[in-house]
Amino acid sequence: MNRIPLALLAVLLTATLPACKIVKTDAGGTAANSAGEAGDDARIATLLDQTFATQLLPHVAERALPVADLRAQIAADLPAAAASHGHRGAGDGAAWNFAIRGEGRVTEANLESRARTAKLDTDGDGTADLTLQLGPVIKGTALRDFAPFYNFNDFRDQIEFAKLGRAINDRVSAGLTVPDGDLTGKTLRFTGAFDIKKPADPWLVTVTALELVP
Amino acid sequence: MLFITKSRVESTATEREDIMKLTRRLMVGGFIAAVSGIMPTFTLAQDNGTIAIITPSHDNPFFKAEADGAAAKAQELGYASMILVHDDDANKQSELFDSAIAAGVKAIILDNAGADASVAAVQKAKDAGIPSFLIDREITSTGVAVSQIVSNNYQGAQLGAEEFVKLMGETGEYAELLGKESDTNAGIRSSGYNDVISQYPDMKKVAQQTANWSQTEAYTVMESMLQANPGIKGVISGNDTMAMGAWAALEAAGRTDVIVVGFDGSNDVRDSIQKGGIKATVLQPAYNQAQQAVVQADQFIKTGSTGLDEKQLMDCVLINADNAAKLETFALAE
Repeated sequence: MNRIPLALLAVLLTATLPACKIVKTDAGGTAANSAGEAGDDARIATLLDQTFATQLLPHVAERALPVADLRAQIAADLPAAAASHGHRGAGDGAAWNFAIRGEGRVTEANLESRARTAKLDTDGDGTADLTLQLGPVIKGTALRDFAPFYNFNDFRDQIEFAKLGRAINDRVSAGLTVPDGDLTGKTLRFTGAFDIKKPADPWLVTVTALELVP
Repeated sequence: MLFITKSRVESTATEREDIMKLTRRLMVGGFIAAVSGIMPTFTLAQDNGTIAIITPSHDNPFFKAEADGAAAKAQELGYASMILVHDDDANKQSELFDSAIAAGVKAIILDNAGADASVAAVQKAKDAGIPSFLIDREITSTGVAVSQIVSNNYQGAQLGAEEFVKLMGETGEYAELLGKESDTNAGIRSSGYNDVISQYPDMKKVAQQTANWSQTEAYTVMESMLQANPGIKGVISGNDTMAMGAWAALEAAGRTDVIVVGFDGSNDVRDSIQKGGIKATVLQPAYNQAQQAVVQADQFIKTGSTGLDEKQLMDCVLINADNAAKLETFALAE
């Protein structure tokens, strides 16, 4: 009686062992819970090498709605707009994150701050209706939280998850070329993401693509 | 056999003791309720059993708000509450867990006494079939507690630091008051602060010291920091009690020009903000967080699952002169 299971086990072992070779861990150990805080930066850099240009930027570009469309949908019904176009950050009270694209005239630019910004009039009424973040300091986690493939529960704790947010913003900032000189009165075309909790919240956009419209 | 009988007798004795404590509590509660003219609902409360609510000392109003929030929700959902404090002492916490287990509570709501040291206590309750629901502070293991509902301290610290940098005009000398080292939130907030501030090269940190979350310690620390660094323009503090201590020292030294930013959203700091003292703080929704923990405990007791992830973050909210008036007991009115 004992021999058959044993033989079977032997066969199974030889058959499954090669398949069990833990190749996956090497390749997929990006956001693992296992490693401690000291390895955070390297792990996040690897994760972003694999996902930033190939997944995150295309995801934002593909899902970005024209400003006017999204504004109308949010005004009508934020939960509905969020359900079809947004993504919620981790946790209770977290904001909804959206991707947008559009262009507008700069009504006011603050290029003195480390967190440079430009206020944009996108609907031509003469007043600004959103703010672009131009770096080098970029606030918030809109890009991280718009992406459904970065999940809080895949990370060790809020520190590691926060480091991801910061690393994403740093990459964005490094890739951003802000046109020289005073921006006021010029027209900018952009793609990016922002987050809001209430329909009336101001839009502070983390910019993933920016160009001056001649 | 003998062993089992003995242990049963022991646990019954402890239980009796705890039930007596509990009864005393309920009687006091009943007295208060009777005085304020509210009909006590203890019959109903006892129908569903008891929930233990274990937090650090209520001397810090933050932890009192947690206990109050949890107890109010427990009563609403038909549970009695057993309110205990561990005073940030892991050994005492372990004893409290023993008492709660012996009392046969249905669930434990815990703001723990140390990220590493608390794992064993929570495991002990789990082994006894009692689920724990953590609030405010994380522990270093997952799969031991049912829920860990924590404030997004990092996000909150970033909000506080962004406001601090803005108030400082992105430039100048500042000091940081750190919390108690054994509490993970002390480190998380400090990294959140530094993550933001380090992006501004003209912001210069000239001093950094722990005041162990304590108001009196912060007073002394602030005094010596100020002596050593009279050029300080701002102080960013790991919590509100330390911010209050620092502010008192600054006032005493006639340095009310110094910008102080805290963390927690206490009524004390709210009042200071409204009087133009401390400039800002970051609200942790403590009351609401504790209530949610009880709601999840109730769900778990009734269905065996909360239907939610173990680790849950709650966003913090910046409080400054614009919205301070809406803040009351760690909750912001809509």
